[in-house]
Amino acid sequence: MVDAYRPKTLSEALKIRNETDCLPIAGGTDLMVQKARGTGLGPGFEKPLLFVGHLPELQRIEKKEGYIHIGPAVLLSELLHNPLIPDTFKKAVALMASPPSRNLATLGGNICNASPAGDTLPFLYAADAELLLENHAFERRMAIEDFITGPKQTDMKPDELLTDIIIPDMDFPVTYYKKVGQRRGMSLTKASFHGLADVLDGYVEDLRMAFGSVAPTVVRSRDIENSLIGESVNSLKNRYQEILELYEPLIQPIDDARSTAKYRKNVCFNMLKDFLNHLEKNQGDII
Amino acid sequence: MTISKSIKRTDAREKIRGEAQYIGDMSFDNPLYLKTVRSTRPHAKILDIHLPDLPEGCFIIDKSHIPGKNRMRTVVSDHPILAEDEVLYIGQPILLVAGPSRELVYQISEKIRIDYEDLPAVFTLEESEKQNCVFTEYSFSKGEPDTAFAQAARIIEDEYRTGLQEHVYLEPQGMAAEVKDDTVFVYGSMQCPFYVEDALTEALGRPSDKIRVVQTTTGGAFGGKEEFPSLIACHTAIAALATHHPVFLIYDRDEDIICSTKRHPSIIRYKAGLDDNNRVTVLDIDLLYDAGAYCGLSPVVLQRGIFSATNVYNFHHLKVHGRNFRTHTVPSGAFRGFGAPQSIFGTEMLMHNIAVSLGLDPLEFKMKHILKQGDPSCTGGKIHDKVILPELVERALDLSDYRQKIQKKKKFAGVGISLFLHGCGFTGNGEQLIKGKIILRKSKDRVVLKISSVEMGQGADTVLRKIVAHTLDLPIEKVTCEIRDTGLVPDSGPTVASRTTMIVGGLLKTAADEMKSRWNEAEDFEISKVYHHPDFLTWDNDTFQGNAYPTYSWGVNVAEITIDPVTYDIHIEKVTGVYDVGRAIDERALRGQMEGGIAQGAGWATLEVMKSKEGKLVQHNLTDYKVPTSMDVPEITCDFIDNPYEFGPFGAKCAGELPMSGAPPAVVAAISNALGIPLKEIPVTPEMLMELERHED
Repeated sequence: MVDAYRPKTLSEALKIRNETDCLPIAGGTDLMVQKARGTGLGPGFEKPLLFVGHLPELQRIEKKEGYIHIGPAVLLSELLHNPLIPDTFKKAVALMASPPSRNLATLGGNICNASPAGDTLPFLYAADAELLLENHAFERRMAIEDFITGPKQTDMKPDELLTDIIIPDMDFPVTYYKKVGQRRGMSLTKASFHGLADVLDGYVEDLRMAFGSVAPTVVRSRDIENSLIGESVNSLKNRYQEILELYEPLIQPIDDARSTAKYRKNVCFNMLKDFLNHLEKNQGDII
Repeated sequence: MTISKSIKRTDAREKIRGEAQYIGDMSFDNPLYLKTVRSTRPHAKILDIHLPDLPEGCFIIDKSHIPGKNRMRTVVSDHPILAEDEVLYIGQPILLVAGPSRELVYQISEKIRIDYEDLPAVFTLEESEKQNCVFTEYSFSKGEPDTAFAQAARIIEDEYRTGLQEHVYLEPQGMAAEVKDDTVFVYGSMQCPFYVEDALTEALGRPSDKIRVVQTTTGGAFGGKEEFPSLIACHTAIAALATHHPVFLIYDRDEDIICSTKRHPSIIRYKAGLDDNNRVTVLDIDLLYDAGAYCGLSPVVLQRGIFSATNVYNFHHLKVHGRNFRTHTVPSGAFRGFGAPQSIFGTEMLMHNIAVSLGLDPLEFKMKHILKQGDPSCTGGKIHDKVILPELVERALDLSDYRQKIQKKKKFAGVGISLFLHGCGFTGNGEQLIKGKIILRKSKDRVVLKISSVEMGQGADTVLRKIVAHTLDLPIEKVTCEIRDTGLVPDSGPTVASRTTMIVGGLLKTAADEMKSRWNEAEDFEISKVYHHPDFLTWDNDTFQGNAYPTYSWGVNVAEITIDPVTYDIHIEKVTGVYDVGRAIDERALRGQMEGGIAQGAGWATLEVMKSKEGKLVQHNLTDYKVPTSMDVPEITCDFIDNPYEFGPFGAKCAGELPMSGAPPAVVAAISNALGIPLKEIPVTPEMLMELERHED
């Protein structure tokens, strides 16, 4: 058995974090499964727990100066019902787990769990999300791709907590999301793709493409995207083979109990191709 | 009121309110908890076992504590209750740790070290075939197959495969045992209280009157609680005797998946001879079933597999050869359909693929071959009852708009049809051997059914009580079932083989008719009945000639699917099922069976990937092994056509297993139709389809 802390305020939580080597826990939908030992046996946590899911400071969703701020303790089900959350993000969230899990799981939890199959991550990468990390004395703001350093690995320091998730409030006319799971409900992702684009008069003004579950972390390449911005939609369509080759070295999936590396790679290329095909239609949401 | 009109399920209230008492809800004074220490090697000699110092009140139970024979009694009693010097699969029970808390027992079991010497192991059916590791082998024939092949205008050879399937009953396996006044009581989740009693008699070396087996509310089974509970019942009983404490042995889901029985994987090879009119005149079927590490009840699974291999068709000349093979993997066992879904999948897909390869309509091609009343079955037993398969097909075509859909096929969309049957009751002379017994007791204005057939979620309690209540014109509340306690009820046979409604329900109907004629007698009385096999049925168990089953239930499924062209995900949009089960005893209960069977069949065919690698299951938890959720189950339309069976209660035949065989070939035919490629293996996955499509390109 381990100790557990349930602070009343964020500053109290940061104080505990500063003084104690502890494990922050919100909904517990990942941690409780990872640490489960069986019926009648307590979970196998090695460190004291710090409950953060109930802290009001971490539960806000608000719009400020061109950014949407989402508290890390916001539940996945709350994201689905909040008008500030982009529809395309809601589409990804709606396909996660099941309603009971979405009523417990938090956005911050999905980020800090840093699973390559985390379903909120491709959107957050594509949307240029930034994270606010605080300790008892300082705060730092960093891009999500700098925070997640590997599978289940983040740059969070032992005295820090994730306190804000910040997304530029932008409207993308073309959005695309597809999750490839083993089944329709309650399924972990074999591969996923989140695409965002802005097209004006047949030319690509902005383009973001993020792939989930096919590499140690979400794959997004600003270099490739920048090389394509400014091109006409038609020329992109014809160049898709070349674009696939650019992504080829980045998409490095594995064989596991749920799928094969070969399938995952092919399906990524299919999704990319499908997204590029849809650019010219410039018609908003797909899937 | 007709018998078929649905009533409220008798177990609905207590289950919805959470009041039903499952094994995990039982309590005893000072119980001990058991944990099983299992083999981590697929095939090895046990050299040494290192035990830690045991805290007071904790025990280790091994083979030396078994008072009787160290074998779990079933058809072939080859599985040791606790391993002796050798282990044959990963997960095989070696020791039991008993202690007053789960935590303590867990900690002790973590400290046990076992030294092994690895032995050569066989992991796949192909390897096992090469090394000829055969457990059982059967063959039979019909007509003159060799001559027919010599005269055939065309010969087609093909091979089909089916994979492992896990039952995923909602309630994992669990048992408890206590010793009271020299009688061993075993309680638990089970289908067959008398199978368990039988196994205990042998393992404990004590007479059955010193053993009581009591079924607790059983949260699903699907065959998974046919023979496997006997093993853990022996574990609990031996531990209760050794420790002088009541004991619990309840599996977590992951443990349950790792060590409990699964559906037999199969390879089925066909050689078909066709005449000039494209009729299959002769068929050679070679079935290979993977029994896993121990034989157990695989021989009877294989028998149903081979007797169902001609499905609904009358092939005039036939050669059938079936073998069970040993591999060093978790033992295969009973699973809804019991060997038939494998061979029916193979034969339905063979017929579909032959038709498509010859440019023929699969349904028309199949209809040219179907059995009719009076025809001989594959084992030469006359089909006595009316066969209404053509009517079932017509109804299914109408309800699904099949003809229109197959003509106006859209890209990445497909439709497929399957015809199938299920032999009702035990295979061969099984019913004559088991001779099911029932007792009906009248006490004043109430009636009690004394039967060993269990409610396990399938609705047997409702259906059997309804048969009696309806016959006696009593409200259902006045008719109850005695607890399934081997000390209180006679052996009506196990709750398996879709025999409960037809065989046990039939005995109850006869008894209820008699009770009705004596209803006004002053004293309370009991009526007992014993099964008598209809005299016109014949069976020779040495030559496999005659009526392998008293009668058959029949079905037709139409499946409609779409394929996502980007991901190759298979979406089963709709399944239409039309069935002849004689007569429905309760339409809603029956519909539940059909819908569940379609979901389970479709899951096996498309979602439920379970493979083992060097004897270890790759998908060994519900995160990786996917059964359909409510989001995956298609729209289902079910219909029934009455075709009352003379010897069934109110004309009822069998139902529970029938739908398991229908959905897989219908769904796979639809996928094949959508992509224009032949398919010969389940589960069909997006991964497989993408490979096949690229190959086609």
